Amino acid sequence: MPGPPKKRQKRDEKQDGDMPQKKYYRQRAHANPFSDHDLTYPESPDVMDWSQHYPAFVEQSGNTSIDKDRKSEDQNDASPPKMSKQIEIADIGCGFGGLLFALAPKLPDTLILGLEIRTSVTEFVQEKAKALRSQNAAAGLYNNISCIRANAMKFLPNFFHKAQLSKIFLCFPDPHFKARKHKQRIVSTSLNSEYAFVMKPGGKVYTITDVEDLHLWMVEHFEAHSSFERVNDDEVEGDVCVEVMKTETEEGKKVERNDGTKYVAVFRRLKDPPWP
Amino acid sequence: MNHPFQLVEIAKPPAAQRDHPGYLLAACGSKLLSTCLATGNVVSEWTADVGSGQVAVSNDTESTHVGGSERPAKKQKTGNASLATAPNVIKLAISPNHQHAVAVTDDKCVRVFEIHAEGKLLELSQRTMPKRPCAVQVLPDNATIICGDKFGDVYSLPLLLELKAIEDDSPMGSTESHPPQQEASTPFKPSASMQTVHTKRNRKALEAQLKQKNLTPKSKAPLQFDHKVLLGHVSMLTDVAYASREVDGKQRGYIITADRDEHIRISRAPPQSHVIEGYCLGHREFVSKVCVIPGTDLLVSGGGDDWLGIWQWPAFKLLARFDQMRALLHDLIAKTNGSNVEDQGNDKEPIEQIAVSGIWIVPATGQDGTSKEHAVIVACEKVPALFYCPVSKLLEQDAPWNLRQFRYPILDITSVGTTTLVSLDVRGEEQQRIVAYRLKMQSSGGTDFQCDEETNAKLMGLDCVPSDIVDAKGLEDLLYGAASLRKRGHQDEDVAEEAG
Ligand SMILES: C[S@@+](CC[C@H](N)C(=O)[O-])C[C@H]1O[C@@H](n2cnc3c(N)ncnc32)[C@H](O)[C@@H]1O
Repeated sequence: MPGPPKKRQKRDEKQDGDMPQKKYYRQRAHANPFSDHDLTYPESPDVMDWSQHYPAFVEQSGNTSIDKDRKSEDQNDASPPKMSKQIEIADIGCGFGGLLFALAPKLPDTLILGLEIRTSVTEFVQEKAKALRSQNAAAGLYNNISCIRANAMKFLPNFFHKAQLSKIFLCFPDPHFKARKHKQRIVSTSLNSEYAFVMKPGGKVYTITDVEDLHLWMVEHFEAHSSFERVNDDEVEGDVCVEVMKTETEEGKKVERNDGTKYVAVFRRLKDPPWP
Repeated sequence: MNHPFQLVEIAKPPAAQRDHPGYLLAACGSKLLSTCLATGNVVSEWTADVGSGQVAVSNDTESTHVGGSERPAKKQKTGNASLATAPNVIKLAISPNHQHAVAVTDDKCVRVFEIHAEGKLLELSQRTMPKRPCAVQVLPDNATIICGDKFGDVYSLPLLLELKAIEDDSPMGSTESHPPQQEASTPFKPSASMQTVHTKRNRKALEAQLKQKNLTPKSKAPLQFDHKVLLGHVSMLTDVAYASREVDGKQRGYIITADRDEHIRISRAPPQSHVIEGYCLGHREFVSKVCVIPGTDLLVSGGGDDWLGIWQWPAFKLLARFDQMRALLHDLIAKTNGSNVEDQGNDKEPIEQIAVSGIWIVPATGQDGTSKEHAVIVACEKVPALFYCPVSKLLEQDAPWNLRQFRYPILDITSVGTTTLVSLDVRGEEQQRIVAYRLKMQSSGGTDFQCDEETNAKLMGLDCVPSDIVDAKGLEDLLYGAASLRKRGHQDEDVAEEAG
């Protein structure tokens, strides 16, 4: 949903390199993760075209035409351009992208993707990434972040291969207080199996929330899941990603202004057990 | 009017005579009938009871007194006339050793039957699941039922109840269990206070929650029987299959699940069902059926796409696609229209959209009449025809898929020996509702359906059992659910976001 025409128009008036303004991209806070929406997603990660998202990381190969000919033989659809790097970090429910923009210059060689279910919010992040790229063209910064509109509760395996990711962020997820709505929480035993699937052994899931109950819920579900172990406090303290997640997310800042508590928990993806 | 048989299975209880052809178990509405294929006698007739499970209301006058007045929505549901009738059998499975049958009724109840040597069915247990199961199977250990519901959860249950399990107060007592049921029983305490919630969106959610008068969640009590949640999909689950293969001299078990969002997921079997091994991705519409071909690493999948996938599932690789479903259907329709065959009872409109409703592996005899083969058979919802292809030729360049026309849509298929039993959506008296065939390979590479008159004679008895259609609308829902899995695109979103 593109939003009311006025907002749409305001957004379009923006010049290249201008920063997008949040007020033109606001959207109803909650989208139902169970409904179909009008989502677009690749049928599998193999056919996902990332070249528009990370143009600076498209592989430059000399004989592309030969390559293409060979491919079209065994595959009807044209294969997407090859990328020199794969996405390694996912920010699930990235909102307006505070975490992405803070991490981008810190990890310039790592591709980072935000997944967000709200269309306008996704557009905002994409526009802001473009604006920052052109403002920082000389330094070559912000080429490593992008955002897609996706329902992360259903379609992670459509975007990521097995063991592709080294970090997943779950920052201030919607709390869904009512017990009846707990199934909509972004952390559950079954979703944790999907996170485990797309993660490398040794990779980490970072969680943060201001809602104690949700924190306990996430801890309980990750600790109970045989694919994860909780990372100890010392290691969490020393992790720069934790600092960024506390201070740079939009929600993190709001909680800060209100002097609230931030509950952090980090979990490590364990190796799969040997077959019995 | 006759009620068709929505489900058919064959049972050959080990205690029966060696050369006994077995018993046909056929579900007809809320009835489950067992027919001896040696004598043609209906040896057992069971009807699902109305008051079983959690649906305790049997008529409308009563319903007005039930549940008090605070929960009108709920009351309406229990007072619903369709629930007042006996529940329909919606799934049927036989244990690999043929000693037990598992039937699921649409009151969410999983019922286990012992199959006696003479084909009689004895109901041993009833277990009401939290959601209505959409797939059920008994694992090769002959001791475990796996059962999936459309809300995405796959459970395992012991086939046979131990008496103590009912007394036992730890329903989820396993490391693999989900916590969801656990927190349901503890009284509700707001999970945040106004002091601990700082953001506007969270505060709004909490406010709304505090406004609710009743702070105890309505969620059901934990299940009172032994069960484990093996895995879950957020997407709507459509089918579950168990597969195994030998690796390094050891058998490995897998659970294959399909969903409405085009996924086919391969997980390890319990006790490691939290490990997802991979996905067979490529479908662009819902997947409604997956079928593992025994003795191979192949899986056949189908759903809302107009093609079938043949996968090497351990490698998550699509090896072949049968793309000619639409073309074969059109040929057939053209032929039928041309020859002007008398009353088909089915309109010959071109097939708009395909919804695969069943995939089976059935025996076929080779050209010499003795050698054994198998064929894949595929039915599409409301289509009076079956696609089929010999298993040995599935991966050939132009696999010899064929389409066999019937007079009625196909509901279910089972097989025994070299006979394949096809249950048709026959509502009148003019034809047997279950018809027996033998599949024979032709020298041309194709396969032929030949009537098995001997078995057909044994099926006559079934047609004498009275079986009125009580609820015509309900019957449509019972028989045809696959097409409704198709997504409607744009409209959904508006509704969801408005309601959000
Ligand atoms: C409270 S906001 C947090 C935003 C950001 N992570 C932060 O910390 O500032 C939660 C976000 O998750 C998004 N979201 C909720 N469910 C989602 C899903 N299933 N897939 C992707 N995003 C989702 C919401 O639209 C919302 O923007």
